[in-house]
Amino acid sequence: MVSKKDMKQVEEYVYEIPQSFRPDMRVPARLYADEELLEAALKDRSIEQLINTATLPGVVKYTLAMPDIHQGYGPPIGGVIPSKTSTGVISPGAVGYDVNCGVRLLRSNILAEEVRPIMDEIVNALFQGVPSGVGRSGDVRLSHRDMNDVLEKGSAWAVSQGYGTKDDLEHTEERGTLAGAEARAVSSKAKKRGQDQLGTLGSGNHFVEVGEVEAIYDQEVAEVFGLFEGQMVVWVHSGSRGLGHQVCTDYVHDLQQAVTKYGIELPDRELVCAPFDSPEGRDYFAAMAGAANYAWANRQVLAHRVRLVMDDVLAGLVKDRGLTLVYDVTHNIAKVEEYPIDGKPTKLVIHRKGATRAFGPGMKDVPADYREVGQPVLIPGDMGTASYVLVGTAKAMEKTFGTSCHGAGRVMSRRAAKEKIQGQELQQELAEKGIVVRGGSWKGLAEEAPAAYKDVDRVVNVVHSTGVARKVARVVPLGVIKG
Amino acid sequence: MSNERRGMSEGFEEVEHTADLAIRAYGRDMRELFANAAHGMFALMAEPSQEPACAREVSLEALDYEGLLVDWLNELIYLHEVEGETYSQFTIETLSPTKLKAHVIGGPTRHKTRAIKAATFHDLAIEETPSGLVATIVFDV
Repeated sequence: MVSKKDMKQVEEYVYEIPQSFRPDMRVPARLYADEELLEAALKDRSIEQLINTATLPGVVKYTLAMPDIHQGYGPPIGGVIPSKTSTGVISPGAVGYDVNCGVRLLRSNILAEEVRPIMDEIVNALFQGVPSGVGRSGDVRLSHRDMNDVLEKGSAWAVSQGYGTKDDLEHTEERGTLAGAEARAVSSKAKKRGQDQLGTLGSGNHFVEVGEVEAIYDQEVAEVFGLFEGQMVVWVHSGSRGLGHQVCTDYVHDLQQAVTKYGIELPDRELVCAPFDSPEGRDYFAAMAGAANYAWANRQVLAHRVRLVMDDVLAGLVKDRGLTLVYDVTHNIAKVEEYPIDGKPTKLVIHRKGATRAFGPGMKDVPADYREVGQPVLIPGDMGTASYVLVGTAKAMEKTFGTSCHGAGRVMSRRAAKEKIQGQELQQELAEKGIVVRGGSWKGLAEEAPAAYKDVDRVVNVVHSTGVARKVARVVPLGVIKG
Repeated sequence: MSNERRGMSEGFEEVEHTADLAIRAYGRDMRELFANAAHGMFALMAEPSQEPACAREVSLEALDYEGLLVDWLNELIYLHEVEGETYSQFTIETLSPTKLKAHVIGGPTRHKTRAIKAATFHDLAIEETPSGLVATIVFDV
């Protein structure tokens, strides 16, 4: 077991487990946390999982975990693994089963006070208009050709079909299309699972949430992002659905043999991987990118449905609704990015598993209208507390491979949550706080209770205080639909 | 009755995992372990189907028993999702360390209670104990 004495504090809120801690570590491992978050992480196997990531071939500098760290399978949730494209590996387990699970934020010209009185109606309409829940299918059925286009073009396909606008693409990470996707690398089983799930939310922690911008911390950046106090905004959190799950399942299976073939030793089989520059590694990347594109198309269709619902419910109440995209980020992905290693620009595969890209000012991958200030970093919290909009920084580029946290992070098991919390009571409690919630099941709602999550303010404070991302706005929930 | 005793008599039990779900499955032999793991997983996912109305054949190859167990559960997740069926009888016809053939019986899914994305290798080891075989399987949900 790892204890605090095995770590050294390298700066405020940054702890390092030295490479010497375990003989199989190739680099140190770093954790961003305050005292309380660190103590929580030490209670389960999160830190051990973080240390395991530092054993992967080709890892450079250090592997990382963000303050929303919690135990996953393979790497911890909140993990960041940088690996050289030349000598390193790519690992499906280090991306996760929900490839490109991510979140987008829509701004509006609507004041929260205008919609608060009709929040029941809005939530009910969203529940009707946005397919959600366990294994729910939608009304988009993809032909073979459409499926291939979705996999290779992502959001661009969705926009070409009338789901949203070109402006949405400009404000999506990778413009909603991760290059390198190849439909042929995605199995027919995965395609079959994805055939009727485009434009569906799914279940678990996925949601659509209507929120109010409660506080602005950085007026200048908030203006650039089009955010203001009292504004109604909408969050959409979903991923690549069954298609992405199957892609991960397929390649965790297939790469078992690659591990033997390339003589890779692993401390945890869920970290199964292949050299990035190998036929197996290239195939996984091509399939993973396809699943990522499916997820972007999915959120694009979901956001379109949200707009339609809002148009319908708010017609006559608010004329110019202006529901436009602030940004869309992914928090389960592997991407090729360039960072200086030993003074030389080096291409790395950055695995982010429950972690958000947080590119700073001046980066060409940040949309032109945000480039001067940096990328919006979207941090959804739990449904009873708050969510944050932050902005990426130069410090993130230097210290965390351009990465920030992705949410509050779980602290209570699903089993414990459903034993301690009743879904109906929770709905009532939230209603008393002015938050209207509808879920697919009481049990599902209980598992997602605010008490099951870490304190999002505390998590965000760590990334803000270390300068990895700066606070721009705090958003509180008004109405939530849970899958 | 302790959780473990109860788990052993039912063949499986749910165990704690911070972010995801996990079950511990028991079996007097490997075939029973595989069948109980499938029972345990479907207990998390859906209400049992009323009438056995459909049958599927499952045929898999993997590197070892652990690999087969993960593949077996993932194949059932796949069938459950794309066929809209929930299975309640699992007959393992052939089982070697690298091959599995099984016959599963179930019916149309009545009510899904949870989506499981996949069975994972995390912490997975099939262990021999004095009272039989035990495996803990962590599911991504």
